[in-house]
Amino acid sequence: MKILVIAESKDGELRRVTREVAAKAASFGEVEVVGVKGERYSPVAWSAAVADKAKSSGAQLVLLGATLNGRDLGARTAAKLGWAYAADCTDVAVKGDAIEVRRPMYAGKIRATVKVPAPAVVSIRPGAWTLPADAAAPSVSEIAAGAESDRLSFDRFQAAAGGGDRVTLAEARAIVSGGRGLKGPENWKMVEALADALGAATGASRAVTDAGWRPNEEQVGQTGKTVTPDLYVALGISGAIQHLAGMTSSKVIVAVNKDPDADIFKIADYGVVGDLFEFVPAFTEAVKRVKSQA
Amino acid sequence: MRFLVCLKQVPDSTVRVKVGSDGRSIATEGITWSISPYDEYAIELALERKDADASTGVSVVTVGGARARDALRQALAMGCDDATLVMSEQELPALDAAKALAKVVGELKPDVVLCGKQASDDDQGLVGPALAEALGWPHVGMLTKLVPAGDGVELWREIEGGHEVWKAKTPVLGLVHKSEKEPRYPSLPGIMKAKKKEIPEKDLESLGVSASAPRLEILAMEPPPARGQGKIFKLDGDAKGVAAQVAKALHEEAKVI
Ligand SMILES: Cc1cc2nc3c(=O)[nH]c(=O)nc-3n(C[C@H](O)[C@H](O)[C@H](O)COP(=O)(O)OP(=O)(O)OC[C@H]3O[C@@H](n4cnc5c(N)ncnc54)[C@H](O)[C@@H]3O)c2cc1C
Ligand SMILES: Nc1ncnc2c1ncn2[C@@H]1O[C@H](COP(=O)(O)O)[C@@H](O)[C@H]1O
Repeated sequence: MKILVIAESKDGELRRVTREVAAKAASFGEVEVVGVKGERYSPVAWSAAVADKAKSSGAQLVLLGATLNGRDLGARTAAKLGWAYAADCTDVAVKGDAIEVRRPMYAGKIRATVKVPAPAVVSIRPGAWTLPADAAAPSVSEIAAGAESDRLSFDRFQAAAGGGDRVTLAEARAIVSGGRGLKGPENWKMVEALADALGAATGASRAVTDAGWRPNEEQVGQTGKTVTPDLYVALGISGAIQHLAGMTSSKVIVAVNKDPDADIFKIADYGVVGDLFEFVPAFTEAVKRVKSQA
Repeated sequence: MRFLVCLKQVPDSTVRVKVGSDGRSIATEGITWSISPYDEYAIELALERKDADASTGVSVVTVGGARARDALRQALAMGCDDATLVMSEQELPALDAAKALAKVVGELKPDVVLCGKQASDDDQGLVGPALAEALGWPHVGMLTKLVPAGDGVELWREIEGGHEVWKAKTPVLGLVHKSEKEPRYPSLPGIMKAKKKEIPEKDLESLGVSASAPRLEILAMEPPPARGQGKIFKLDGDAKGVAAQVAKALHEEAKVI
């Protein structure tokens, strides 16, 4: 099967998910990797370019990373082509002319195996396919964006207050999340200190983002981000079903909560029952010590 | 300004979704159904405009079965003006649902169409972009804010590290990620008013839409793997000691630090 991979870059560099997808796609058939030329993603202009390329290349499967822009582009491109589309897949198998994917449904509460008729557009969850250590960087050719809509124009970028240069949640291998148990935004210094010690990104429960203690983009859960890091540390989070939906597939979960019956302990590998204000500073020091000895 | 919000009825976010006996669909007995969370945000976003300017109109539409009337009723009770049900007991392929919605847009002629960024059942995020495509309209995803500006609207799109602000001439379509405030609860007068409203019903045939787009076939469903019982540590005044034990376990046992 001929595969077209759509590359995504950030700050002039290929995103890791593009390399993951390109490396894996080679096992499905002949692969061509293209990226749309242009500074800023725009649905109309970019989907036109990708749809044209998909048709002219004879590809039966278009693969791209299920990033914010990738999911948007994939959906609009599939609609333009009238092709099948499957979002945020964690695996793909090509079986003759048919494509089978694995993907979460029902806000992560269900995993489904889905048959997708070819031709199709499929977006792949970042991190779902491990990048082989010896994977060569894919060679990417550029395609020109199509015509822009005359009704829509980019005006400006508004940076979020307090947004630092920390790792983004979706790509983070470790995440420290804080909940209402932290009592207020002033206590995030403690969360950040632990995150720094672990080389982690910071996340939050919806109670916290709704209260405006942290920016929306840090919210983990059903209506926030779905994350699958190697290590997820939940501080003062009760473990509501909507929060769990976004993080239960983390490899190792540590939870700190003063309530021994908190639901978060049902899914934690390591549960600490007690006051987080006592535990977290001590834990930050302990992590630093272990890391310096390793 | 006139809004049309496309909504889908899905299992409530508090439902512990289970796999049905056929192994390829969910068990629906006893489930509470609600408006999909992002669609609720879309309704709230539109109603916030109506709060600011009473001349704003907010319509809602769904493609669904008889049960979906409850979701429309809920939207009316929140304060939406009118609702349309496109009757289809069978789940339509996404591109066909988008075609049916496009017909309703053609009849109602809204300035702004809002969809959720994804429906919390299939989690696809396809119907919104497909509707924009069917209409030949531009769309903006990850919408968190919408402000009227001149002869159009300013659309705030949440991305890594902040917001892109796009200017659009109407008509335009947005995929909603969040509203400024929490979605409102229906008020008692709202519920009473909603009860009296007619909900016109359309069938696919009268809209000239038939199921013809590619259809995904679910072969199997399973719950995420269960997590084993973890180790519990009690602080009991020894934060330092417990911290050292947990750090050691993460290093030696779990090998994640
Ligand atoms: C449609 C819908 C979608 C939703 N989507 C999401 C989502 O995406 N993400 C999400 O997170 N939520 C979501 N929610 C909200 C969810 O239901 C919960 O309300 C929310 O997750 C609670 O956040 P929390 O755990 O921080 O707060 P709480 O439930 O208030 O928990 C705070 C916890 O902190 C503990 N605590 C307090 N003080 C201390 C201390 N000193 N030391 C240690 N522990 C302490 C308490 O014991 C408690 O367990 C959604 C809800 C709905 C209805
Ligand atoms: N059957 C439907 N009726 C009305 N709107 C829908 C329907 N299905 C999806 N939508 C809209 O499209 C969005 C994305 O849905 P989906 O592509 O299923 O993830 C939803 O949040 C709704 O706004």
